[in-house]
Amino acid sequence: MKLVIDETRCKGCNLCTKVCPYKIFKEGKKANRKGIIIPELDRPERCTNCRLMHLYGRTLCGVCQLTCPDQAIHWVEEQPYEPKKVAIEY
Amino acid sequence: MSFEDWYRQDRLPHIYCAGCGNGTVVNCTLAAVEQVAWKKEDTVFVSGIGCSSRAPGYIVTDSLHTTHGRAIAFATGVKMANPDLHVVVITGDGDLAAIGGNHFIHACRRNIDLTVVCMNNQIYGMTGGQGSPTTPLGCLSTTTPYGCAESPFDLCDLAIAAGANYVSRWTSYHVKELEKAVLAGLQTPGFSFIEALVQCPTAFGRRNKFKVVADQVEYLRAHSMLKAKHDRLLEQGEPVPKDMFIVGELMRRNRPALGVKP
Amino acid sequence: MTRTEFWQGNTACAEGALAAGCRFFGGYPITPSTEIAEHMAVKLPKKGGVFIQMEDEIASMASIIGASWTGARAMTATSGPGFSLMMENIGYAAMTETPCVVVNIQRGGPSTGQPTMGAQGDMMQCRFGSHGDYSVIALCPASVQEMYELTARAFNLADKYRVPVFLMADEVVGHMREKIIIPDSVEQVPRKALVKGTLPFKADSDGIPGFPQFGKGYGVHVTGLTHDERGYPCATNPKLHEMLVMRLVDKIESARHEIADFDIINPDAELVFIAYGAPVRTVQQVMHDHPHDNIGFLRIRTVWPFPEFALGEFKNARHFLVPEMNLGQIAREIERHMKVPVTSLPKLGGELHTPAELLAALEAYR
Repeated sequence: MKLVIDETRCKGCNLCTKVCPYKIFKEGKKANRKGIIIPELDRPERCTNCRLMHLYGRTLCGVCQLTCPDQAIHWVEEQPYEPKKVAIEY
Repeated sequence: MSFEDWYRQDRLPHIYCAGCGNGTVVNCTLAAVEQVAWKKEDTVFVSGIGCSSRAPGYIVTDSLHTTHGRAIAFATGVKMANPDLHVVVITGDGDLAAIGGNHFIHACRRNIDLTVVCMNNQIYGMTGGQGSPTTPLGCLSTTTPYGCAESPFDLCDLAIAAGANYVSRWTSYHVKELEKAVLAGLQTPGFSFIEALVQCPTAFGRRNKFKVVADQVEYLRAHSMLKAKHDRLLEQGEPVPKDMFIVGELMRRNRPALGVKP
Repeated sequence: MTRTEFWQGNTACAEGALAAGCRFFGGYPITPSTEIAEHMAVKLPKKGGVFIQMEDEIASMASIIGASWTGARAMTATSGPGFSLMMENIGYAAMTETPCVVVNIQRGGPSTGQPTMGAQGDMMQCRFGSHGDYSVIALCPASVQEMYELTARAFNLADKYRVPVFLMADEVVGHMREKIIIPDSVEQVPRKALVKGTLPFKADSDGIPGFPQFGKGYGVHVTGLTHDERGYPCATNPKLHEMLVMRLVDKIESARHEIADFDIINPDAELVFIAYGAPVRTVQQVMHDHPHDNIGFLRIRTVWPFPEFALGEFKNARHFLVPEMNLGQIAREIERHMKVPVTSLPKLGGELHTPAELLAALEAYR
């Protein structure tokens, strides 16, 4: 699984950056077209849910998704042969 | 199946400000409702007026967005007329404790089978940042420009004293515990009251020297003291630091409830 | 099989509600309407209904709106001070098109006034009491029999037009005891259910949307904010607000002929009494004592929406006399429709007009 931040919803509050127990986010640098600075993924391989959701069949951790006030964080299937790193979706 | 299925996707993104704690608390409430496995047709959300009370407009079930402070009275009518429905009330600190104070204490007394989730941001957010009955002493708001001169309510103490069956308090930092607390409230028959302290970066944070949303959440985290620790400090006669919020399950009992099908 | 009873007006009102299928009463005790609440407290649970005494009148009105959304026929009963408290939620019921019945046993006002004496001082308040523009239906009984029949009719009107319906009685009719003939059944016209798949607040051709009851899977969002046809708040849209408010008003105003209920006696008279509620009895006494004086009488049972077309039935009228137990609230409404002089005969203090007073007025204008 990979974590995606929905840019149509994220308002750049950076709460996910603060609460993630594995510190996978870092604050972004450039504003996007709406003028919002979306957090970037610093160490996505440490996200427990991305790694183990298929193995356990349920959401692990998920604190960022619960905390996000704008419901902007989702997990989606990674495409086959995609280099296994999570990325921001547009 | 996750809590996201309970949102009206056509209405998102919602009107809450960037970093508003209300969004977090609604996530936790819906995650709890998802876990307790109620059907969407049998669940009704009732709310009053304010930022917190806009939440049911984004939830896919039947919902009633009522007048300021009266959410609990409307919810009482819904529950008593059809006890098969599961009724959850979403309200704010001003809506519940100021104009709705009377309905709040009577609902606790009656112990009607409702679950009330109060998003306490210690300010009147929707109308621009006026002081509320839970604004701490000395804090700034548009109607307390020289610092609040009134002592605030402790909503959980009120609920316990008036007779609620289940009372607990968490903050928007403690998402997992809040979800479990709401779940316990939904499952407990009788009146369940869950107070969630949330950050309001736009109205409260801006005026009270919290520059960034994360600072306010950090403040909530740092000033939360678990009930167990609080009780231990009292037992040992140690002084309790001021300005701490006691978080955790503060009351669970079995007083006779109203509106529960036998 | 009809039966005959000797009942108090308040009892008849409660029994009329029960016969019409009322299954929820949320109220607060206030003289002179307390007997309705007490009667409902005894009888409703026996019929599988719910009685709850709320903590104040604001909560009472709120609870009946909540109950109405679950499909129950809901009612509350109050008097002047409680009526003033209920105003915000009455506006909410009008805006969200919630069917409910509010009984106001009027007493001397303003403020605490005369709790045990009758008056009709809330007539304008019932029409314009809440803020904003909206339309309501108000029925005025003049006897114990009418307390029963009009309360039963109120529920059908509320369900059909999806509006709060007021039973504006007064302490005189509420507390008097009279013979009443009870029919064996009362016609119940249920609410029109919303067709699944249509938008919850989209009106049909009669201006009234189907009712999306809670618990049936409609997933409706009901709000007091200005809303669009989906029920979602759209408070900053001027055209939408205008359309919504016009629809709320038009659905009642355009149906005034179906809603209206009045009696016309001696339509060719030159001097005409117009009365509703308790003063009707005095006018009836005057007409009984002077049957050959050709006194006209318009007896109104539906004061709002006001049936101004009934006034035109009196083609020879040159003077209208309106005895009321207030300072001319409905006389003012009649006056704005008529070029013929309209004189208000107010009576404050809680006592009915005497036949002598009405006769004196007749003589003065003959």
